[in-house]
Amino acid sequence: MDTRAAPEAPCLVACPVHTDTRLMVERVLEGRYEEALDLLLEANPFTSVCGRICHHPCEESCRRSKVDAPLGLRQLKRFIVEATHEYRVRRRGPVRRTRKERIAIVGAGPAGLTAAQDLARAGFGVTVFESATEPGGMLGTTIPRYRLPYDVLREDIDDITALGIELRTQCAVGTDIALAELQREFRATLLATGLSESRALGVPGIDSHGVLLALPVLRAVSVGERPPLGQRVVVVGGGNVAIDVARCARRLGATEVTMACLEAREEMPAWEWEVEEALEEGVKLATSWGPRAVLSDDGRVTGLELRRCVSVFDDDGNFSPSFDEDETSGLAADTVVLAIGQAADLTCLKGSSVKTATAGRLEYDPETMTTSERGVFACGEVSTGPGAAVEAVADGHRAARAMHHFLDTGELLKQAPREELPTIGDLPEETIERIKQRARVEVGRSPGEERVRDFSEIERAFTEGEARAEARRCLACTTGAFVDEDRCAGCLTCVRICPFEVATVTKTASMPEEKCQACGLCAAVCPAAAVALKRFGAERIQEDLSRLLSERPKASPSAFIVSYCCLFETTSRKFLEENPEDVQRTGVARVLVPCVGRLSVPDMLLPFEQGADGVSIIACADGECLYPTAEERLGARVEEAKRILEEIGLSGERIELWRTRESAEVSWTSFWEISRRKLAGIGAEEQGEET
Amino acid sequence: MKSGSNLERVLAAGHFAVTAEIGPPMDCNGDVVLEKARLLRGYADAFNITDCQTAVVRMSSIASAVLVMREGLEPIAQMTCRDRNRIAMQADILGAAALGVRNCLCIAGDHQSFGAAGRLKGHPGAKNVYDVDSIQLVAILKGLRDEGRQQGGDEIEQRPPLWIGAVWTPMGDPIDFRPWRLAKKVAAGADFIQTQGIYDMELFRQQMKQVQDMGLHEKTAILAGIIVPRNLGMLRYMDAAVAGVSVPQELMARMSAARKSAGDDKAQARRNQEEEGTKIAVELIEQARETEGVRGVHVQAIEWERKVPEIVERAGLLPRPTPPAEA
Amino acid sequence: MIVAERKPLGEIIGFIEDFRKVLVIGCGGCATVCLAGGETETKIVGSALRIAARKAGRQQQILEDCVTRQCEPEFVEPVPGRLGDENIDAVLSLACGVGVNLLAERLGDVPVFPGLNTKFLGATAEPGVWVEMCAGCGNCVLHLTGGICPVARCSKSILNGPCGGSSDGKCEISPDVDCGWELIIRRMERLGTLDRLVEIAEPRDWSSSPHGGPRRVVREDLRQLAAEAEEEKATTA
Ligand SMILES: Cc1cc2nc3c(=O)[nH]c(=O)nc-3n(C[C@H](O)[C@H](O)[C@H](O)COP(=O)(O)OP(=O)(O)OC[C@H]3O[C@@H](n4cnc5c(N)ncnc54)[C@H](O)[C@@H]3O)c2cc1C
Ligand code: SF4
Ligand code: SF4
Ligand code: SF4
Ligand code: SF4
Repeated sequence: MDTRAAPEAPCLVACPVHTDTRLMVERVLEGRYEEALDLLLEANPFTSVCGRICHHPCEESCRRSKVDAPLGLRQLKRFIVEATHEYRVRRRGPVRRTRKERIAIVGAGPAGLTAAQDLARAGFGVTVFESATEPGGMLGTTIPRYRLPYDVLREDIDDITALGIELRTQCAVGTDIALAELQREFRATLLATGLSESRALGVPGIDSHGVLLALPVLRAVSVGERPPLGQRVVVVGGGNVAIDVARCARRLGATEVTMACLEAREEMPAWEWEVEEALEEGVKLATSWGPRAVLSDDGRVTGLELRRCVSVFDDDGNFSPSFDEDETSGLAADTVVLAIGQAADLTCLKGSSVKTATAGRLEYDPETMTTSERGVFACGEVSTGPGAAVEAVADGHRAARAMHHFLDTGELLKQAPREELPTIGDLPEETIERIKQRARVEVGRSPGEERVRDFSEIERAFTEGEARAEARRCLACTTGAFVDEDRCAGCLTCVRICPFEVATVTKTASMPEEKCQACGLCAAVCPAAAVALKRFGAERIQEDLSRLLSERPKASPSAFIVSYCCLFETTSRKFLEENPEDVQRTGVARVLVPCVGRLSVPDMLLPFEQGADGVSIIACADGECLYPTAEERLGARVEEAKRILEEIGLSGERIELWRTRESAEVSWTSFWEISRRKLAGIGAEEQGEET
Repeated sequence: MKSGSNLERVLAAGHFAVTAEIGPPMDCNGDVVLEKARLLRGYADAFNITDCQTAVVRMSSIASAVLVMREGLEPIAQMTCRDRNRIAMQADILGAAALGVRNCLCIAGDHQSFGAAGRLKGHPGAKNVYDVDSIQLVAILKGLRDEGRQQGGDEIEQRPPLWIGAVWTPMGDPIDFRPWRLAKKVAAGADFIQTQGIYDMELFRQQMKQVQDMGLHEKTAILAGIIVPRNLGMLRYMDAAVAGVSVPQELMARMSAARKSAGDDKAQARRNQEEEGTKIAVELIEQARETEGVRGVHVQAIEWERKVPEIVERAGLLPRPTPPAEA
Repeated sequence: MIVAERKPLGEIIGFIEDFRKVLVIGCGGCATVCLAGGETETKIVGSALRIAARKAGRQQQILEDCVTRQCEPEFVEPVPGRLGDENIDAVLSLACGVGVNLLAERLGDVPVFPGLNTKFLGATAEPGVWVEMCAGCGNCVLHLTGGICPVARCSKSILNGPCGGSSDGKCEISPDVDCGWELIIRRMERLGTLDRLVEIAEPRDWSSSPHGGPRRVVREDLRQLAAEAEEEKATTA
């Protein structure tokens, strides 16, 4: 037996908290938005936040990228949280305290709060100390509102605080309360204080009036202040913080905003989409320039003198810029904002014996997550250095595990800084060619010049229809066909039918996971019933049927129809929600299938065994099918099922194959109506024949 | 003389031989056979009695052969490999010989799925035999006659005097192999050959050229098959559906013109076509006669036997010679 | 492989309609590979029979099973037990005729019915199309005919073909049927052995074929040892 862990979809693997994005998409398709939310929150308490501002490594590694464009996973996440708001409020609530140990967490950023959540759920008493007035860390205090409204962050935080965590804001450890005291009062302490200081720069003129640091500017903006920056603003730095500053400056009325950074355009550390959005908003770039001196007049900034940066990194890839002092330039400016990096503020250590390493960083063991003091742990950016919110969440989870273990055993737990999961290989070229392209659903953004007028959100959410359309694009990685080798007769039928040329047979069949598109065509025809599908196989259809048919209308006034419908054609949950009364009233039991092309002849016959009068199969609209040949194959299988009915003296017309017109909501009801009428006629005819 | 049959003697005497065909009825009415025999007496040297042609049950070939002998005609009993195994075949042929039948044509026989090409029900569900094939049958008959031995090896005392025939489809597919297959038949012991109906005389002559190059025409007597076309429909059918028969465009056009010339008069159209068909048959016979290596014609007027005398007459093949029986 | 085809369901229903509890047994061997009687077909037939019973208002139970190969005693061995345990009173076999025979020999007083028509020994010509290629004549002549069987692939099984019915590579019986002899000739042409066909093939000895009576094949080196046979006799007695 293969003992390796089953490979996971690359999107899941790429996500720092291993959100099962693949399953999330499946839940969206099935209309199970609440369950999708459950799984998201299980992995990431900052789901709402990540729905807005995550740097989405899942999308970066999505296998669909090679076909056309990656899935819009971040937007789908956002759709889910917005669609399930009420459910989320309902599911919120305190957890039971089962452990007497109390834990102190310093810093209510994503890292600290994630750890707080996990430890509270594990039954510990948790107190979070936060120097700011509101919890959330950088997410609340610096990320501009046009990207992340505070309410969104609040939604995530409310889940956590509802657990019964004690949150003490405006309580700076090291100032308002000593770390040593925490160490005494609590069985364990977690430092999750982040990087809250902006780094400064040592060039002439830096003390001039009008030279500002990034974080204070952003903090001011985030509480609604409008710091006077003037018309011309130069932001020093090429990272995401610099971008946020530049874009805020535009919103504060600066007409000329320039980012001066050491890196060349393609080396800029900021995420590419952030740079694009900044450019759209009229931000200018001065790349490969380093600051030489702040120019000033009478102590007031007038500009920035620049020198050409010829390289940023040395041969070993370390940050070590070198300049060509002969090539210089200058930018006129009313304000210069320094956004060249963040550093930890370690005032919390004041008076404690927790040691620091060089450069104001904690002495810290990345595997056990401990500081120099037993029982004092650290996580988040304060120990990992700058990163993304979801990485801080991942580190929070990790810290919670480490502390839980410590409290259980008194031992330190060694964990790799990042858990590597097995995934499936890239899509082979020949498979890519066979996959039908389908454009990514884009919500678009309002034009840059409009966006800079205020701090309102720049991106809207998916509508339900858009979310479902986007979810349909998922290749459902890892959920394809697999063979029960004991059953396989090596008949080659799968090989012959597979439209992606995935299946091969040497003695028995195999369907390499990295190629299989999970269309299910092979499973539908395997004579040995040896092919199973990890997503929505035959057994699922049987389950759905027996559930629905146990509710068969007792004295159904008209025909009773089982309708197998293409899941992909629904633009809402209308037909997805189970509604027993509906079945009673309409006489139609729906089984939604991700591509009805996977229906086998037994699937088509089964409803009749269980008392259905007719089977209506509704395929997608013309040309919409994701899988080549599926439409023809299904048509031929329907004909076969009809022949079988005819052979046993039932009308083949009892099985009907429809194509969706426009959408499920527009056309399906009318199909059922037509089928019902037709079935009444057929019933009468068959009776007639018998008597 | 191997058999002393009239056909053998006519050929031996160097005459251009004529054979014709008599199809037995589907019932036991021997008068039908006798009737046809009387009609055709004197117009050919020997008469093929078909053996359940197109896999339709008809009075047996041997029985019908005995009937025509009563009217003084010489029969060529036909024997297909479809319906009998080697035991039945040898038994029947020995019986036929005892009753005076001297010619036997060995054929594979139409497959039972034919059922008269769909006109009749036939017996498509029959089990066929094909214990031996036609070439093997030729060899078996030769063995009985020349070696006095049954196929299984048992010796026989009185050997059947038979003039052994086989058929040849000169233009059948694969056409390049056809002369070779003829060679096999000849090697197996075919004394005479009757060919499938020929319309494309040009192509036939090409095939005959090969046959001559192989020297086969000297080892066997080849009689060219002439199927009398009765109307355009029949020509078309033969061209499209009968294996090894292709009808040149020119003949089709002639028949078509004959039909058209009668305008709307259906009866006249029929008569015109029959006349044209007769003409064509006569011409084909003449052309066959001019073809080197051809030693006679086999005239088939399917379900139209009464037309044979006129055709033979118009082809200038009357009267038929009467070579003396050997002492 | 052996190629078979499901019998019309109407016919099957005729066999089993009077039985209360019927077991449909598929076969995981050839019958699966030719898509006639594997798991899936067993499901289909089972399902169809249940639907038919329901429609006719028959109180009938249809069960399904599929064994690895119905042509092996060991594989069918558990079947009689199951019939007894579950009071099954008829069996419908979806194996080739071999499976039906073997079951019939072993099922005591429970009748077994054929659910398939066993067609021939053949190959897949294209997906979903099978053609006969060997007639199991017992004395293979393929070395004489370029590897193409005249017995199975010529409608008249003639050994000195082709007959006059060959046309455009097709047999006289149907434009869908290749003329076996055309195939033989073309093949031998490619092999450069066409001249061998000038030899007359003698009438063959069909005693090796079904015409010679039921046949058997024995591999002495693999037979049951005398002692084992004794033992078996003792235990079954
Ligand atoms: C401007 C900006 C934009 C960003 N944009 C994105 C983005 O788009 N996407 C993304 O994924 N990530 C982004 N990030 C990064 C993300 O915000 C951080 O990775 C994340 O917030 C780090 O979490 P943390 O919990 O480690 O630290 P923080 O979020 O910094 O939280 C630390 C908390 O500890 C508190 N604290 C510090 N010292 C003390 C003390 N002595 N006593 C009590 N409390 C204390 C602080 O007040 C703070 O609330 C951005 C960061 C910045 C600065
Ligand atoms: S196609 Fe779907 S499952 Fe595969 S990586 Fe992309 S989102 Fe994940
Ligand atoms: S179709 Fe089924 S039995 Fe046939 S090779 Fe594929 S997996 Fe095996
Ligand atoms: S037919 Fe579809 S499910 Fe089966 S192997 Fe091919 S791609 Fe995968
Ligand atoms: S010659 Fe006989 S054994 Fe050989 S392929 Fe033909 S039928 Fe089969």
